[in-house]
Amino acid sequence: MVPVLGIDFERLSLQDALDLAVLIEEEARDRYVEFAEQLALHHTPEVADFFSRMARIEERHRTELLQRRRTLFGDVPSGIDRRMIFDVEAPGYEEARAFMGVRQALEMVLASEIKAHAFFDAALPRVKDPQLQSLFRELREEEVHHQALVRAELARCPEKGDDAEAYADDPVAQ
Amino acid sequence: MNAALAPADFKSPLKPIWCPGCGDFGVLQALYRALSAVGRPPHEVAFVSGIGCSSRIPGYTTAYGFNSVHGRALPIAQGVKLANPHLLVIVAGGDGDGFSIGGGHVPHAIRRNVDLTYLVMDNQVYGLTKGQLSPTSPRGLRTVTSPLGSLEQPVNPLLTVLAYGAGFVAQATPADMPGMTALIEEAIRYPGFSFVNIQSPCVTFGEEEQQLRAHKTRMKTLGSLGHDPSNQLAALDLARAYGKELYTGVFYRNPDPPPTYDALVLQRQAELQRGEPRPRARVLERLVQR
Amino acid sequence: MLEDLVVGMAGSGGDGVVSAGESLLAAAASEGFHALMTKSFGSQIRGGESSCRVRLSTRPVLNPGGLLDVAVALNWEDFRRFGAELPLGSDTVLVHESKAGPPPEDLAPAGRLPRQVLAIPLSEMAKSAAGTDKARTSVVLGALSGWFGVPLAALERGLEKKFGKKGAELVEANRKALAAGQAHALAHPLAAPRSLARPGKSEPRLLSDGNEMCASGAIFAGCEFFGGYPITPSTEVMQLLSRELPAYGGVVLQAEDEISGVGSAVGASFAGKKAMTATSGPGMSLKTEILGLASIAELPLVVVNVQRGGPSTGIPTKPEQSDLFQAVFSAHGDVLRPVLAPTSVEDTFRLTVEAFNLAEQYQTPVVLLSDQEIAQRKETVNLPDLGQIAVLERLRPTTEQLQDGYQRFADTPSGVSPISHPGMKGGNYLAAGIEHDRRGAPTASGAVHAAMNVKRFRKLDPLQGRTDLFQQLGDRDAPLALVSWGSSAGVAREAFELARARRLPVKLLVPYLLYPVAEQVYRDFFASVRRGLVLELSHQGQLHRLLRMFLDLPRGVSSLARSGAQPFRADEVLERLQREAEA
Repeated sequence: MVPVLGIDFERLSLQDALDLAVLIEEEARDRYVEFAEQLALHHTPEVADFFSRMARIEERHRTELLQRRRTLFGDVPSGIDRRMIFDVEAPGYEEARAFMGVRQALEMVLASEIKAHAFFDAALPRVKDPQLQSLFRELREEEVHHQALVRAELARCPEKGDDAEAYADDPVAQ
Repeated sequence: MNAALAPADFKSPLKPIWCPGCGDFGVLQALYRALSAVGRPPHEVAFVSGIGCSSRIPGYTTAYGFNSVHGRALPIAQGVKLANPHLLVIVAGGDGDGFSIGGGHVPHAIRRNVDLTYLVMDNQVYGLTKGQLSPTSPRGLRTVTSPLGSLEQPVNPLLTVLAYGAGFVAQATPADMPGMTALIEEAIRYPGFSFVNIQSPCVTFGEEEQQLRAHKTRMKTLGSLGHDPSNQLAALDLARAYGKELYTGVFYRNPDPPPTYDALVLQRQAELQRGEPRPRARVLERLVQR
Repeated sequence: MLEDLVVGMAGSGGDGVVSAGESLLAAAASEGFHALMTKSFGSQIRGGESSCRVRLSTRPVLNPGGLLDVAVALNWEDFRRFGAELPLGSDTVLVHESKAGPPPEDLAPAGRLPRQVLAIPLSEMAKSAAGTDKARTSVVLGALSGWFGVPLAALERGLEKKFGKKGAELVEANRKALAAGQAHALAHPLAAPRSLARPGKSEPRLLSDGNEMCASGAIFAGCEFFGGYPITPSTEVMQLLSRELPAYGGVVLQAEDEISGVGSAVGASFAGKKAMTATSGPGMSLKTEILGLASIAELPLVVVNVQRGGPSTGIPTKPEQSDLFQAVFSAHGDVLRPVLAPTSVEDTFRLTVEAFNLAEQYQTPVVLLSDQEIAQRKETVNLPDLGQIAVLERLRPTTEQLQDGYQRFADTPSGVSPISHPGMKGGNYLAAGIEHDRRGAPTASGAVHAAMNVKRFRKLDPLQGRTDLFQQLGDRDAPLALVSWGSSAGVAREAFELARARRLPVKLLVPYLLYPVAEQVYRDFFASVRRGLVLELSHQGQLHRLLRMFLDLPRGVSSLARSGAQPFRADEVLERLQREAEA
């Protein structure tokens, strides 16, 4: 599945590319915020906190990219909006689970970084402009860097977490 | 694309109570996008639902919502639309809400053809009440109310709705977000009764092979099969595969949609009123003239 | 001179007995009489046994009357099937088709067999005058004209209306039959001649029925949506509205079932329009869940129940007042909804408007309890004075309230929250059957739930003071009470007048507002009372029991109640009052 709509990579401008990158981070941030809320509502606080942290990280990435965009292009209206992208970096809703453990959450984040990497990787050959190529390469490398960070955390994570499902109460009919 | 309304404008502060991993999250996201694309402001959208996990959805949007009673969303929604035909009316519910208790209302909503969009989140189970059989559960399925396996053939929602003559029938899955978003938008834009059956798995009570990961490998677009959505017979034929195949896309779109019920009502009122509504104080004239 | 005449006729459907009654009714109304007609049938769609009663008077007619003054039997088999509706007394003039032979001995209880029995060769006369024995009823009408002075010209006009569409020949033939009947009557005068007095004003009076008044009241009240389903005896409300309402800008939907009927009406109310449904007992049972939804979502809605014999399918064509418990109690959960009941064709108009007003003011479903007799009997009515009837609208939020974080279910001093509707910017909210907080967000909190119940009940408190929704007649200090509601109230009113004429110390209370029970109004009424009767048509005497649930009724106040299809008569109520007075 192509996670973007209405974007012609061959005709993409630098401004568009930066706007796209900003939205990709924004989408991921929003998704992590939602996951944090879902897990908090489902009383899985440790993982809820983890997702809140991920959201802050994505927000940092977003802000940095937005700064660059503003420096170069000021407040010129963007031609890219959220309806054009579909979970480029944001993990799919189906990845979350009630009572999920931190390891599972980290694996989810890792997968999303890999997904994002694949996106920029696939986009690169279609991008002609050298400035844009440079940007996409940079963004792709960022994902590699993020993956390394996540793998490191995974390594520190206990191999087998508590079997939360085993301890949890039965579902409740409403 | 209408830049005036963003998907976020349709997001309400209420946090969904759905289990993490529920397919309905994707449906909600697609709905935000589709509504922002269509461009009607939230206060002009009326979102009616029945009872069930999926029926909670109106409260998670900023539209005027009506989370009513089990199986009765379609009649209520038609009343809303007929009372104010300028509203955009969307109806949502699950497979039980729509095809079990609500089943009696489906043929009439279709043949009446009031302009509204009916989204059914079909997960082959009753999630809200903890996993009972639903009208779309496959034969043999073991659930808490069919511990030895269901003895019933499931309802085929696609075939049912097509056979009653609906003018727009589609199926979607959150496993294909761009596809589902486009289908919901198209259904909303279709002038008349439109139906999208959304395979939205229950992560708590649904089978593993029904989850979205499985959808990604199973699903086939009707476009890839070369289907022509103006061909109603072909649509009926493809719909028969419900339960065996996961076809996504538009099964049928009436190339020449008939006038909607609400449009005809407006026309009649205009003819009777000849300009403006009759003054209410004239109601007893008929009595006197006899 | 007769001030009052009650005519009853029975035959089979093919005889046109009911048509004849309608002609008589129309003739009377056109001459300025007060008049009322009821009909009764067998279960066949056509051609079963069929009967009617027409009561004409120079004074307002309060109910269909008691024993017949004139009974007309085209055959005995059919006549006997209507024992309850066509009661005979010794003074009844019993007219019958001579071919049918003399009346059977058990036609009336002993001591009540009519002393004057007149056999008329109706078939022969009809054939001879009109060329067909089907014109028998025209002969009958002519005879009534001859014996009682019902103006022939008025009857002729009625014939023109009835047969005019079928051709001038038919009109003429029946006119001849009329004349023949009159001639016969003049040639065979009654033993004790009686003639109808002329009404004071001979201006024609308007005729209507309860269902028509209900539909008209709804239109006047501003109803913009009707959703419903055919069910005897309420269907005429929907039919009339489907013809008329669109011209006033409204929509009528004959839905696929009762649930969809009320469901669509609730949707229309949610969308900001005044909405209504109409049904009978079985339909009310189906609608129960949606009524509860409307209550918790605080949506205005008018629900008309034209009561019929119950339970279940019961007796679709006869009146009963046995749905009061259902109107009041049928809802799961704690629900309080107003229940109003008209007592005549005429007051159905204003009480329908009142139902809409209460629904709008208090954002609640309101049940209007009519019954088959009021709904389908035809009676002369005074035109309601539309200028005197207020029409109220729901409280809507102001622009400031919409800009300031509008809360749909905000608590207010009155308990009524301003209500928005789709299309209103800033008023977006979630309406739901699930319990909710002030914003409309779903909640399972006991504290919020309790507060919401308090609000939903409290907002109806002003109804406790609505003395205008009660009719009280008689001396404040009277020790003998008569209470009645719905169609039975018409009988009660007549019994009250007869009792007063006998100098019985009686007072009358007719509630139009049945629920919530306006306790103080009743307490004040019963303060002086030692004995009394609650008159109603139900096996359980439902109002009596309801009052006992909420009040300390004086012990001497008992229930005078019986199952439907056995209407009360003023004279029997009078006798009971007499016994109570002497007790």
